[in-house]
Amino acid sequence: MYQLSEKQIDFILDDIKKRGIQIESLQQNLLDHVCCILENEMNAEDDFEKLYSNTIQKFYKKELFEIEQETNDLLTFKNFYFMKKVLILSGVATASSFVLGSVFKIMHWPGASFFFVLAIGMTSLLFLPLLFILKNKELKNVQEKLVLASAIIVGILYLIAVFGSVMHWQIAKPGTFWLITIGFSFFIFIPLYFFNGIRKPEAKLNTVITTCLFVIFMSLQFLMIRLHPAQNQIDGAKVEQSAK
Amino acid sequence: MIFSSELIKGTLKTVVLKLLADNKKMYGYEITQKVKEITGDKIQITEGALYPTLHALEADGLVITELEYIGKRVRKHYKLTPTGKSKTKEKVNELIEFMNTMKIVLDINLQTA
Repeated sequence: MYQLSEKQIDFILDDIKKRGIQIESLQQNLLDHVCCILENEMNAEDDFEKLYSNTIQKFYKKELFEIEQETNDLLTFKNFYFMKKVLILSGVATASSFVLGSVFKIMHWPGASFFFVLAIGMTSLLFLPLLFILKNKELKNVQEKLVLASAIIVGILYLIAVFGSVMHWQIAKPGTFWLITIGFSFFIFIPLYFFNGIRKPEAKLNTVITTCLFVIFMSLQFLMIRLHPAQNQIDGAKVEQSAK
Repeated sequence: MIFSSELIKGTLKTVVLKLLADNKKMYGYEITQKVKEITGDKIQITEGALYPTLHALEADGLVITELEYIGKRVRKHYKLTPTGKSKTKEKVNELIEFMNTMKIVLDINLQTA
């Protein structure tokens, strides 16, 4: 039986890494497997690199990285049902917190901000990221994944901006957060959404309509924040009035 | 005749668990060779199917690994956990039930064909 040298083992390990296998445990598995095959089939006069190349090609259909993808898919699938349950629970808890927070706020009861913080925290840290992970699995191309990611970011920014305004948090006072949210929607999310959908014949009409609705909604939102006077202007007016 | 990978995929977990139950501990290459040997080359487990399955079984807590250092490389021997042992019985029985049911289904189809 042929004995592979340390140099040859390093060569194989480097190649496995170069081909996109990042999970260390999988690297070890594949390395040992290739070594076993080579040591059983190789003779001293054989061309090592050629034989290695022929052997590794039998491991995959298109590329070696498939094995890592399949491993990740199986591991994610294991948690799929649990994640789905958490998604539903966090969705219900978030909606309830929003409703309770709004009621508390309207009634001027103390504790509204607690519910809003809870709702925003759960939405941005649990509900939307989980939604991204689960939906991302269903999407095939990179552009669709980018649309989903930017939609999730807009969602998180929008929530923080709305509740920042309602609760008069310092972060949203001058409308900066609103401008970031609207700017991100206009220049990143909406173009990504539009150009991704317009290329699909079956989604063309829906894409145009939804894009128009997005633009109208965001324009109205922009109008509202520009019409709404900045806090320093209100303070200035108050000072002026009291001076008179 | 070599069976298609689609047919093997659904039963791979059970096959690996049963092999580990019968052989105490095995490493990846050994598993592929053993399957080849006992099926007379009819079933060839690909590396692309085997290792993701072994990782999933490990994540499920059905198998554990024992490391053996061979020079610059590490060989991972897989062996069943107590949960894995009871799961193996369950999976094997499920597969036997499935095969019996498939027999009935295919016989009915053949008769009606």
